Formats: sequence, structure tokens, C-alpha cells
Amino acid sequence: MPARLAHLLFLGGLWLSLGWATEGRAQPASTEPLLFSIVIKDGRITPARLEVPAGRKIKLAIKNEGPGPSEFENLSLRVEKVLAPGASSFLVIHPLKPGTYRFIDEFHPATGEMLLIAQ
Amino acid sequence: MLNALIVIFRESLEAMLVIGVLLAWIARQPEPATLKRGLWLGVAAGIALALALGFATFAAQSQLAGEALEKFQVGMVLFAAALIVQMVLWMHRHGRHMKRELEAQAGRAVGALGIGAVAALAVAREGAETVIFVYGLGLESGGGDRVALLAAGLAGFALAAATGWLVARGARFLSLRTLFAASEILLLVIASSLLTAGVDRMIGLDWLPPLLDPVWDSSALLDDGSTAGRLLADFAGYRARPSASLLLAAAAFWSFVVWRLGRAAKAAT
Repeated sequence: MPARLAHLLFLGGLWLSLGWATEGRAQPASTEPLLFSIVIKDGRITPARLEVPAGRKIKLAIKNEGPGPSEFENLSLRVEKVLAPGASSFLVIHPLKPGTYRFIDEFHPATGEMLLIAQ
Repeated sequence: MLNALIVIFRESLEAMLVIGVLLAWIARQPEPATLKRGLWLGVAAGIALALALGFATFAAQSQLAGEALEKFQVGMVLFAAALIVQMVLWMHRHGRHMKRELEAQAGRAVGALGIGAVAALAVAREGAETVIFVYGLGLESGGGDRVALLAAGLAGFALAAATGWLVARGARFLSLRTLFAASEILLLVIASSLLTAGVDRMIGLDWLPPLLDPVWDSSALLDDGSTAGRLLADFAGYRARPSASLLLAAAAFWSFVVWRLGRAAKAAT
């Protein structure tokens, strides 16, 4: 079926060209992510400030110690993680550009805030 | 309390928008009554699924259980996206024969089942978070606060219903033809936003590399954290800082849809 073939070729070309265009700027993903622990309790996120190296893949291990559920969120990084009280989870954050990224607990917007500083 | 109102307003408005688009789309199909029944049954099933998902989240204490739940949600959004595309293409492909097929019992059942499944998944997606949020606030607050909480929640839902009604009223001023044509495009937009949500989750699970991230930054133009940007993000898959993988998925989606729609149109003539 020529139309299907054309479509596959188009997608393949798209993939290659995007890969080629981004290769130089993409970070090497080979290294293991750096692990950081985050605890949410009473609608507060600890640590309130987390410094991480820029350009490295990081892994956040998050534990919600309650009493209520939390939603750990940063919209610009498209991170949304709902955690029941007592639950733990993890998040992989791909290499960041230097800068400050503000995470909130969406269920406790008045108190829950964490600044992730990539440098 | 205000937070409860806002969260419930946003989640129910999003669910209502999807249901509204489905209703508009159903109205153009032959035998809409059966499809409509399928839709409402789907909404009811979606509420049940939202409750189940919400309580599953409370039960999922370990990292492993949380990951399983996350995988289920990825599957759910991707399945919903595929189902919508399949539904739109199916209706297109059958074109004029559709009437005869939908009049047959089996055809009607399949159509209603498809619509119901899409409605159920859409409602479950928006509803699960609401269930967790409301139940959690109930856990945190005492007796008197709970009444206020319930009131705030109901107010949020009522506000969403009023907004939805206004949108529906406003849409009446458009011609039916435009509305019908728009409903199909909107359904596909919803499907692409579901795909986007799935891809984002898969990147967060480290199943997919983001490739270049971000490709551009349009947050100065329209921030996806702002109210309007956020609605657009959830409803249409807008991203102010998209990753290359996301763009690739969107490009693949739209090229596939346009290609298949074009073929279906050619086959119909």
C-alpha cells in the first residue's frame, strides 16, 4: 500500500531529522540519575530548597507522611504526582537547564512549596 | 475552602466540556438516541471508575503499587485517545452506509459502547483527582469544616455546570453545520491532548527519553500554569515548553489522522 509506506517514510524522516537536529544539544542520558529524597508532611515540602546539578538526570523519591493526600506538581515541567497519605513514589526529571523551578503541593497551595535550583 | 471550589470547578468543567463535545458529535450521527444512552451510561461508569481509582490511590502505599497505578493511568489515557480516533474514523468510513448499520441492533450496540467507553474514561480521569482531593480534605478537617467543604465543593460543581450551560447556549448561535464540523475536530483535539498527557507521564516514568527538552519556550506568550493556559493544556494538550518527544508524538498523531481522514473521504465519494 503506497500511502501507508509514504506515511511510514514520513514518520521515519521526521524522527531522524528531529533526532539529528537535537543530538548536539541533548544531554548524554547514559549515566544513572542522581537520587534526592523529598518528604511532604502537613502540607509542607522538605527540603524547601533543593540544589541539583544542571544537565544531569535526577530522580526524586517522594514520601507523603500525611495526614492528607498531596499533589506534587510543577506545571512547566509537566510533573503532577498525586500521593495518598503514607505513600511513596518517584519521579524522573530529565536534564534541566540552570534555573529555579518552583514545585507546589497543589492540595495545600498556601504552605506547600519547594524550589528546585539547577546549577 | 476556596481551593476546594477551584479544584472541583476545574475538574468538573473539563469533564463537562468533553461530554458536551461528545453530545454535539452524537447529534450528527444517525440514531443519536441509542448513542446518547450509551454516553450517559458511560458517564455513570466513569464516576464509579473515578471512585475506584481514587481509593486505589489511597491503598497504593508502596512505590511498586504507585507505579502500577501510574501505568494503569498511562494505559487509560492512551486507550481513550485511540478509541476516539477509531470512532471518528469508523463513522467517516461508513459514511452513508452508517444509517443502515446503526439501525441494526449490533451496530448500535457497538457505537454506544464506544461512546460510553470514551465518556467513562474522560470522567474517570478528571474525577479521580477530585475524589482524592475531597476525601483528603475531609480527613484533614474537623466536623464543622466538613460542612463548609461540602458547600464549597457543590458550589464549584454548580459554577462549572453554569459555565458549561453558558458555553452550550453560546454555541447555539453558531450554525448547526459549523457546530457539527467543529465537534469532530474538537474530539480529535481531545484525543491528541490525551496522547500528550500519556507521553508526559511516560517521560516521568523514564520510559521515553524527552530528547531535546524544551524545544521552545512560549511561556511568555501563554503560560500553561495560568488559568487559561492550564485549561488549554488539559483540554488541547498545549505545552509552553514542549519536549521533542512530545512534538514527535503530536506530529505522528496528526499526520496519521489527516491521512486516514483523507482516505476515508476519498472512499466515501
